[in-house]
Amino acid sequence: MSSESSLFGHCWLPLLLVAPLMLLIVLFFYVPVFQAFYWSFFLEQPFGGGSEFVGLQNFARVLSDPEFWMAGWRTIVFMLTASTLAVAVPLMLAIAADRKIGLSYAARNILVWPKGIAGAAIGVVFAFIFNPFVGLMAPLNALFPGLWNPGMDGTDAFVTLVAAHVWSGIPFNFVILLAGLRSIPPTMYQAAAMDGASPWRRIADVQLPLIMPQLFLTFVLEFTESITSVFALIDTMTGGGPGGSTTLLVYKIYIDGFRGFDLSGASTQTAILMVFVLLLAACQFVFLGRRINYER
Amino acid sequence: MTAIDTAIRATAADIELIGVTKAYDAKTTVIPPINVALRPGEFTVVLGPSGCGKSTLLQMIAGLERVSGGKIVIGGREVQDLEPKHRGCAMVFQNYALYPHMTVAENMAYSLKVAGVSKADRAQRVGVVAKMVGLADFLPRKPGQLSGGQRQRVAIGRAIIREPGVLLFDEPLSNLDAQLRHDMRVELADLHRRIGATSVFVTHDQVEAMTLADRILILNKGLIEQFDTPKAIYHHPASVFVAKFIGAPPMNILAVTGDGSALRLADGQVVANYADKGSFQLGIRPEDIAVNAGGSIKAEIRYREDLGSHEILETNIADQNLRITMPFGAEIDTEQTLSLSFPRARLHLFDSETGRAIHNAFDDAKTAPTFVKEYQ
Amino acid sequence: MVENARSINIVASILLAIGILYIVGPLYLTLSTASQSYEYILTNGLAWVPGTELFTNMAKVIHDTRIPVQMLNSMIVAFSNALATCALSFLSAYAIVYFRIRWAGVVFALILATIMLPLDIRVITTYQVASNIFSPLNAVLDVTGLNALTANMFGAPVHLELSVLNTHFGLVAPLVAHGTGTFLFRQFFLTLPKDLFKAARMDGAGPIRFLIDILLPLARPSVASLFVLTFLSGWTQYLWPLVGASTPDMQTAVVGLARLVPDSDGQVPDFPMIMAGAVLVSLVPLTMIALLQRFLVQGLVLSEK
Repeated sequence: MSSESSLFGHCWLPLLLVAPLMLLIVLFFYVPVFQAFYWSFFLEQPFGGGSEFVGLQNFARVLSDPEFWMAGWRTIVFMLTASTLAVAVPLMLAIAADRKIGLSYAARNILVWPKGIAGAAIGVVFAFIFNPFVGLMAPLNALFPGLWNPGMDGTDAFVTLVAAHVWSGIPFNFVILLAGLRSIPPTMYQAAAMDGASPWRRIADVQLPLIMPQLFLTFVLEFTESITSVFALIDTMTGGGPGGSTTLLVYKIYIDGFRGFDLSGASTQTAILMVFVLLLAACQFVFLGRRINYER
Repeated sequence: MTAIDTAIRATAADIELIGVTKAYDAKTTVIPPINVALRPGEFTVVLGPSGCGKSTLLQMIAGLERVSGGKIVIGGREVQDLEPKHRGCAMVFQNYALYPHMTVAENMAYSLKVAGVSKADRAQRVGVVAKMVGLADFLPRKPGQLSGGQRQRVAIGRAIIREPGVLLFDEPLSNLDAQLRHDMRVELADLHRRIGATSVFVTHDQVEAMTLADRILILNKGLIEQFDTPKAIYHHPASVFVAKFIGAPPMNILAVTGDGSALRLADGQVVANYADKGSFQLGIRPEDIAVNAGGSIKAEIRYREDLGSHEILETNIADQNLRITMPFGAEIDTEQTLSLSFPRARLHLFDSETGRAIHNAFDDAKTAPTFVKEYQ
Repeated sequence: MVENARSINIVASILLAIGILYIVGPLYLTLSTASQSYEYILTNGLAWVPGTELFTNMAKVIHDTRIPVQMLNSMIVAFSNALATCALSFLSAYAIVYFRIRWAGVVFALILATIMLPLDIRVITTYQVASNIFSPLNAVLDVTGLNALTANMFGAPVHLELSVLNTHFGLVAPLVAHGTGTFLFRQFFLTLPKDLFKAARMDGAGPIRFLIDILLPLARPSVASLFVLTFLSGWTQYLWPLVGASTPDMQTAVVGLARLVPDSDGQVPDFPMIMAGAVLVSLVPLTMIALLQRFLVQGLVLSEK
C-alpha cells in the first residue's frame, strides 16, 4: 500500500477493463437476485400475464405449505450428512495420501477424476448401479426381497443421493486438504517426533490443527455446494421421489417454477433459500472463521 | 576497452530537490520538506535505518511515488509531474526485478523496445552492455538460470543500456553474500567512473556508503542528519545519530557533566578539561582510546573479544558501557582495572538534548574547539 | 526419520485402496456395462466383466440419439465459458490490482459476492432475465418515468425484447458471471513482486504493454489452470443448460444423457446404451484431466487461497 501512488493513473481504461465482466454479473447475477426478492412480493402470472403487489401473501402461502417445510427439513438433513461425509472422506484420504506410501501417487491421480464427470452423468450411473433389479444389490434382493429399493424406500433413495454426492465432491476437497497438509513444514513433524508424538498422535495434534483453515473453507463451500449441486443428482436418480422423500428445496423450486408455472412461489422460496445460504455462511465466518487463523 | 568506454556514456544531469515532501495522509508524514542538490556525475549514497524514508525519496526521484509537495528538478527540467519514462532515470532494484519470462538479452533490451528502437540497434547496444557487465556469454539464458551476482549484473545492464543521466539504486547489494557484495561494490565504483551518470544509491549498509560515495546523505525519520563526504562524516559527525550510525564498532557515547573546569562522569572521574557548565554527551571512537599505565581514567574489563586482527574490550566506566579496540599485539596486563586516556583531538562533544555536535575536536592548549562546523 | 510407522502406513494403504475403489468402481462398471448387450444385462444384471459390444452400443448412441450434436454444443459451451472467463476475469483483476482507482474495493466485493449464491439457486429469475435481456432496461425506463415520457411523445413506450434462451450465448453468459476467475488472478497478481511493476514502468511500459509483455506471459500457468477448471465446469453443468435450452439440438450432452433414461418405470431401460452414452459424454473432460492434471490441481488450490 505504501506505493499506491505509483499505480497506473488512467481514468477510463480500468472502467473499460472491468466493464464486460461487470455487465454480465449485473445482468445475470444482481438482476436475478434482486428480481427473486422483488417477485416474492408480487403475484406473477406466467408468460408475462401481468403482476400484482400482494405484500407478504406469498411468504404466508409458502410458509404455511407443509411441503415447503418438508423440503426445507430434507435440505438441512442432506446438507448436514452429505457435506460432513463429503469433507470427512476426502480428509481421511488426504491424510493417508500425504504419507509416503506406494498407493499415494496413484491416489493423487485417480481421486481427481470425478471432477470430469458431470453430476448428472454420475447420477445416471449410480441410478443404474443401485438399481434394485439389475444393480449391485440385485443378488441380495433376490435372497431378501425388498431389502433394497430406492424406487420404493425413501431412505434408500436418500442414501444413494449422499453416496453420489460424496463421490462427486472428492476431487476438490481432497486437493484442497492435501495442499494444506503438504504446506505444513517438515520441521513441525520433526519437532513433534522429538517431543515423543507418534504418527497417529501427530494427526490430532499437528495435522488437523494446522489445516483448520482449509478444513473450514471446504466446509463453508461444501454447505452451499451440497444444497445446490444436488439438483442434477435428484433429477437423474430419483426425480424427487419416492413419494417426495428426496425433494429438496432446490428441486422443489425448479418443479414449482418450471413445471407448475408458479413464479411467485418459486421466487419466494428462492429468496428464502438465498437468505438461508447467506446467513449460514455469515454464521460460519462469525463463529468458526476467526478462531482458526494462525501466524506461521 | 576504450571503444566500450565511449559506447555507453551518459550525459550526467544534476538533481535538485526543492521542498520535496511526502505524506500518506494528514497524520503520517514520511518526509518533511527536504532541500538537497546533487552535482552532475556525483555518486550520492542515501544512508539510514529502515523506515527513515530513503526508499521513498528514491522512488519520488524515479517517479514511482508521487510527491506530496515541492519540486524535483533533473537537468534543469521540473519533473515531479512526469511519468517515470520521461525523467531520464534508470533504476536497479533490490530484488533485481528481472522479467522471469525473458532472456537476459530481452530483459536488457526491453526499455529500448518500448521506446521503439530498431531490432538491429537493440542487438548492438545489448552486445556492448553485456560486455561491460561481463554477461556476453549469458545472453540467451533466463534469469532463473543465473546466479545472484549474474542477476545483479543483468539488472545493472538493463539500467545503463538507455544511457540515463541519472542512475538510481535501491539497496541493490543487500541480497548478495559478503564476498559477492564486496566484488560488486568494486565493479559498481568502476562502472560509475566509466559511465559517469549521476548516481543515487540507497542503502542501510555503512560500508557501502563509505566506499562508494562521493557524498553521503544520512536520513533519520525523513530529516537530513548530515550531507557530506565519507571522511567528514566519519571524523566530524554532526550529531549523536551520525556518530553512532557510522563506524564499526560504533562510537562510544558517555553522559558527562561540565562543572566549569572539567567534564566529569557520574562517578566523578575527570575525562577532559572544559570551561562550560551543563550536561553533555561525550563521544570517542573505540580505536581512539589509549590504554596506558599512566592514564588517569579507570575502567573495569567485563569481556574480551579476540578477532585476530584486533581485540575488542567491553568495559564498564561509571555504569556505562565503553568499547575499546586494541590492535593485534598490544599487551595489556590481565588486571581487572584498565588505565585509559582520551586524546583530546579525538573527542566529540554533543548537546545532551538536541544531540547536535558542539565540538568535533579539542585543542590541547585552550578549551576552545579547533574545529567546529555547522552542517546544513 | 527413524520411526516405526508400519501400523499407520498399513491403515493408510487400506484407506487409499478403498478410496480408489470407490472412485474407479462406478467408472469400471460403466465401461463394462457399456460393452455388454442389453440381453446380457437382463439375464445377469451388473456386468462385472467387459464384453465386446462397446462399439455397437456407442454406434447406437451416435446414430439413434442427438448426443453427437449435443457434444458439439457442450464443446462450444465449455470452450467459450473457459475462454470468456479467462479473458474477462484477467482484465478485471488487472484493473483492480494495477490501477489507482477508488472503487476497486467495491467492484471486487461485488464480483466476489457471486461466489456465495450459485447459479442453481437463482435459476428461476436468471431464466426470466435470459428470456428478455432487455427487461432490466425496460424496468429502469418504466421506473424513471422515461417511458411515460416517450409514450406521451411517440405514442408508445420503449419496450425492447431479446431472448438469449436456446442460444449458445445464453448457455454461456450466466456461467461467466462468476467471481472465481477474478479472485484467482487477483491473488496471482498480488504474489508478483511489486518491483517488477516498477521496473516495467522505469523501462517505459504503459498499461497495455505491461499487460501484454509482462503480465500475460507470467500468468500463463494461472490462465491454463483457470481454463481447465472452467472448461470442466462448463461441460458438466446441468440445471442451467436444462432450462436454458429447450430444443434437443441446442441442449448439451450431459442433459441429453440424462434424457436417455426413459421416464416410465415399466421395463428395464437399455442400460448398456445409456452407459455407452455416459462413456462418450465423459470422454472429453476425462481426457482433459489426464493431459492437464497438473493445471487442474493447481487451479483447485489457487481458487481457494
